[in-house]
Amino acid sequence: MVDFSLTEGDLKLMEVMRAERLRARTIAREIDRIPESQPLTDGDHPIVAGTIAPYAALAQEKAPISGLAVTECLMQTVGAPEFNTRPAPSPSGTWIVNELGSEEQKKAYGHLWLVFGVSEPIAGSDPSAMISTAKYDPETDEYVLNGEKTFISNIDLGDGVVVIVKGEPDADGKRPFYNVVLLKGTPGFEIGQPWRKLGTRYHNLGSFSMVDVRVPAMNVLGNGFVNIQTRLNVNRPVQSALGLGMCRSILDFTHGKLAEAGDEVDYAKGRSSRSFAEDKLIRMEALWEATWGVIMQCKWLEQQLGQLSKGFQTQVAMAKTMSGKATRQITQGCLELLGAEGISEEYLAEKYFRDARIIDIYEGPGEIHRLAIARKLLGYRKGELD
Amino acid sequence: MISYELTEEQQIVQSTMAEFAREELFPQTRRLDDDAAIDTELLAKLWSTGIVQMQAEAEGRSPVTNAIALEELGAADATLALAIASTLGFVGAIADQGSARQREELLPAFAGDAFQAAAVAVLEPSFGFDVSRLSAKASRDGDNYILNGRKAMVPMASQCSHFLVIAESDGVADALIVPRDTPGVSIAEPKGTLGLRALELAEVTFENVTVPAAMRLGEDKGADVQQIIDGARIALAAIMTGLGRGIRDYVIPYVKDRIVHGTPLAKKQFIAFTIADIHMDVEAMRWMTWKAAWALEERQPVTQQAQLAFTYAGQQIIFIADHGLQMLGGHGFTKGHPVELWYRNARAISVLEGAAGV
Ligand SMILES: Cc1cc2nc3c(=O)[nH]c(=O)nc-3n(C[C@H](O)[C@H](O)[C@H](O)COP(=O)(O)OP(=O)(O)OC[C@H]3O[C@@H](n4cnc5c(N)ncnc54)[C@H](O)[C@@H]3O)c2cc1C
Repeated sequence: MVDFSLTEGDLKLMEVMRAERLRARTIAREIDRIPESQPLTDGDHPIVAGTIAPYAALAQEKAPISGLAVTECLMQTVGAPEFNTRPAPSPSGTWIVNELGSEEQKKAYGHLWLVFGVSEPIAGSDPSAMISTAKYDPETDEYVLNGEKTFISNIDLGDGVVVIVKGEPDADGKRPFYNVVLLKGTPGFEIGQPWRKLGTRYHNLGSFSMVDVRVPAMNVLGNGFVNIQTRLNVNRPVQSALGLGMCRSILDFTHGKLAEAGDEVDYAKGRSSRSFAEDKLIRMEALWEATWGVIMQCKWLEQQLGQLSKGFQTQVAMAKTMSGKATRQITQGCLELLGAEGISEEYLAEKYFRDARIIDIYEGPGEIHRLAIARKLLGYRKGELD
Repeated sequence: MISYELTEEQQIVQSTMAEFAREELFPQTRRLDDDAAIDTELLAKLWSTGIVQMQAEAEGRSPVTNAIALEELGAADATLALAIASTLGFVGAIADQGSARQREELLPAFAGDAFQAAAVAVLEPSFGFDVSRLSAKASRDGDNYILNGRKAMVPMASQCSHFLVIAESDGVADALIVPRDTPGVSIAEPKGTLGLRALELAEVTFENVTVPAAMRLGEDKGADVQQIIDGARIALAAIMTGLGRGIRDYVIPYVKDRIVHGTPLAKKQFIAFTIADIHMDVEAMRWMTWKAAWALEERQPVTQQAQLAFTYAGQQIIFIADHGLQMLGGHGFTKGHPVELWYRNARAISVLEGAAGV
């Protein structure tokens, strides 16, 4: 049955997340001012000491929830994360090992904290253009890695990375993708300086190089690019929901400040009796809600079909595209409505405007997802519509 | 618990309506527009699917199911979808908010086999009219109300047995049930409209019309007029979802076939991306409509959801219809294709706030 009620468990968990984010908000500006070169922390931030981690609460929840996938996204929508109060419970590299690795690999690496290294200076939205290589050395049963990766989130933290490289050409001349577990301290694996950036300054964005790096053959996970796709299918809607969380914070701030100035939104009236600000806020709320519906439908479908299914890929692309559009339009529109006072660092609105701009870039920019959606609708393959 | 799953019954309604829309309705859409008159035979066929009659029975009433049905009809012909939605608006309001006596007296006429039109009369003939600023007035006079005012864009006005007139009474909006042959009610000739032409949208004037207090919706309790407006917004959003989908499905094969500058139009990124955007909007419109219809069905607060669904649909249907037409170039401007008709319907339906129900 079509149902949009939130269960007791959903509401409880959203409250846990909201409390976490409100705690983070108390020091959000301070954190925003820390230059990127100073890594935050490897563990939980003291501001959340003694409280339950929202993701641990989700895993343990006994009351009925809408489902792990749906409820995770509901939690993400409650407000801006402000900064990473805790390390991600299962970063993408770790997730790939545990969900898609062999038993041996899970045992060896499943407990480690591993990030995800795909992008290269010359290959971002088109991973097929990557040039990093893996070459098998039969004498030592090792792979030798060479290349350079950039824009790697949180490479400063944890134990290493699942890096994506290309192997030797096969019989058809095609070079397969390999996912390789690469641990810190391996000779030839050098981490570079973090990038300075527009927003999400709390989020370390690094790069690394690999010069004749040797890893044991067992570090190579199977499935090639499928692993990346699977991980992205699961994570993209979560990032989309996180974007809605950022929008929630700036929308609530804008509603509040405009109401204080005498412009309160009334959803009953028609458009002819609204002020400009009221009308714009309603249109932005509508875009928020449109995005919410698409994200939740995608996650509901994921729950029906299972994480490894390819049956909800188009929904993933739609969730990410909608969220990219929403985060851009809503943060831009709120600052327009707030006027000059809105750009002051006395408030967090300008920070949300900067932070949220990443949503339409990482995990695939909107253009790439529109290509995927359009190919599906038009019946074209890659190569026919690029 | 969040779920997007249709019940078995809803799946049947969806496929029945889809088939009717495809087989019966779509082939007639141009003729309906040209004739600017509703085809009663076609309406009777649609009536025989039982969608309105179900609402007249307490256990059959389901705004979610109605939203699903209206999307299917809207995908073929928004005009006929609105003809049904208009009557649904009246029947739904009586079913949800009428007194026991009003339900008993009025609903049987809509439960039978013969088509019967009725409408909610909200809009007024002034530029920039807003549902929150009513000029029509109902003043209490002993056991009666005296109703004065003009209502505009009433669907199939001349065929309606009743109007549910939204008017201001003692400073708040109220709803009065007025049989069409009451003295003082006059229905103007339709003047023709940009779109939705077959609806025969017309002005209805109420001049010193005496309405017994027993015909005030909900009698002594009165009615929640906002809920009627909410229902109208949801119904319109549902039909716009269908209209958007119809446009999407029409342009896709066209742009794949049409070769321009050496390749199919569909392979130009601007066209392909716009189609992706149209598709996303249609999906989003549908989920927003369902969410609002669900809230209405569950008697949860619905005003905000209904407003957001209507606002998004009303805004994006113009984007969809506009780009849909543009993709056909000069052909889109001609009556050789239905997109010019859909373009007119899109503009019309997105401003008809109030003329429907779910
Ligand atoms: C904060 C942050 C965190 C990140 N985290 C990670 C991470 O953890 N791991 C990782 O591997 N990567 C990560 N990335 C990289 C991110 O995924 C890429 O930046 C993204 O894929 C875009 O690639 P690019 O920057 O090289 O842009 P380009 O590929 O150069 O694209 C530039 C622009 O052109 C558009 N474009 C590209 N192709 C087409 C086309 N065919 N048609 C139309 N338009 C097109 C793109 O959409 C984009 O708007 C991160 C990036 C940032 C900024």
